[in-house]
Amino acid sequence: MEVYLVLCFICMLPIPAKSITTVDCKPAINESLAAKITINTVILQQPRCCFDNLTNLPCTSNTCEIWLVPAVDTGLSTFDANKASSAILSLSPYPTAFTGSSPANYFLTKVGLQSDFPCVSPSPGGYFRVGADGACSTTNCNGFLPQGSSPSFKYLLVDSVNKTVLAETKWSDSIALYTLKDPGTLGDGFAGRSGAMVVITTLLSVAAAVLLLFLIVVLALCCCGGKSKGSGSVVGSVMGSFRIPRYDTHHLKDPAPYDNPAYEKERKYTTQDTLPKTKATSAVNPVTQDTIKLQKI
Amino acid sequence: MIIVILCNAFAAAAGLALFALAIWVAVDGYKLYPISGVSGKDDIFAGAWIAIFTGFAYFCTCIFGIYAARKQRRSLMLAYLIIMFIIFIFECASCITAATNRDYVSRLLLLLSCLQVECCGTDSPLDWVEYNSTFRQLYGTTYPWPLNCCKRLSSFEVADSQGCIIGQTSTMFTQGCFTHIESVLSRYTWAVSWYGFSVQMFVFFMLLIAMVYFTQLG
Repeated sequence: MEVYLVLCFICMLPIPAKSITTVDCKPAINESLAAKITINTVILQQPRCCFDNLTNLPCTSNTCEIWLVPAVDTGLSTFDANKASSAILSLSPYPTAFTGSSPANYFLTKVGLQSDFPCVSPSPGGYFRVGADGACSTTNCNGFLPQGSSPSFKYLLVDSVNKTVLAETKWSDSIALYTLKDPGTLGDGFAGRSGAMVVITTLLSVAAAVLLLFLIVVLALCCCGGKSKGSGSVVGSVMGSFRIPRYDTHHLKDPAPYDNPAYEKERKYTTQDTLPKTKATSAVNPVTQDTIKLQKI
Repeated sequence: MIIVILCNAFAAAAGLALFALAIWVAVDGYKLYPISGVSGKDDIFAGAWIAIFTGFAYFCTCIFGIYAARKQRRSLMLAYLIIMFIIFIFECASCITAATNRDYVSRLLLLLSCLQVECCGTDSPLDWVEYNSTFRQLYGTTYPWPLNCCKRLSSFEVADSQGCIIGQTSTMFTQGCFTHIESVLSRYTWAVSWYGFSVQMFVFFMLLIAMVYFTQLG
């Protein structure tokens, strides 16, 4: 009887609810990887040094398991309400976690044994990719996160024997996943006319126009100016004050009259062409007029 | 006359340099032509081809100009001036073409270009993640971006496919193709358009001097 009473008394003692320890850890993205966030996966840093300071655990580091809870919107509060349950691992299987009329909005997936993540990592660059299993269908698979959602994450320390949660980290910040954009919005990258192009075009056009102008002016000055005065029978310009239409140079052996080109237009006198042809001809170069160049005949 | 001869000598050298530079662009060491060809905006190469001919023509005509200045004959100088002016017009066309082409590179096509250029995406590999594409429809579950984004060994195999999939920066090309191609295109544009422009400016002043010399002849 007394034994029964004692047993009863012990039974009636409120069994202290196994309180889940919250460690001061917060899951974070692995910033060094380029694919840290995609539309349905996230790459997190590994849960090192999070659960190593706990004592009085019913499992050792070889048997304690680390699990991950990705949760969206209401899933955070739903999970927190249910986390003490002994069936927590299968309460919200992955295939139905985000579907249906009132989805649980969270699921659990195993990350590894606690001994896999010692405090001091043997090799750098550890990561855990949430969503690595893709579109899977088992209860605790590491499946895709809902596209475009903003999930938060929490690591759990789970007793492999009882399948109950022993400890947990804090909720991470919500990480916004990408939503696929239409590639048409990439834009044509047409930033408008660059300054360099404007400078080059205007300067070159102006230069070409100026050159053309000057070329025409020079041609007009030189060629047209020369044409009215005759075509090259005399080298150089006409001496304007030398108005004798025709004259003889007396110091020659066989003098022939020289027609002054200034009077060529009037043609009222015989010219070189109409005279009987003599053998010796001469021309006066105004520049070197004091010397006569004779042609060899 | 000495000034004209010296300027012509300098312009001949500059024309030859333009000729060589334009050949360098036309040879296309950076293999830019396929991409520009796809987008239909390959005027930079048209500009380069024109510059090849004008550069060589400048060289020959300037040598002729030295001869014409030496001979002090009006007809020769006139021929020289007219030929130089025609070449000037063509070189203007080349510079302007090269300069305007630069503004037209299309970003959209670069997302889809997976060629030998060592780049990934338009601005960065994240373009493959953020934007929808045929690639994403087909392979989006396994690969965030095509394996062309991954660094390869000399045997053409991917150096580290796991690292590339998760995005380790040491195993993949992180520079966007737009940035890469834009920088290469800038190099070509600087060559053809800006150097051509500086040659044009020099030739412009040289032709002015030559015209003055021409009026003094005879």
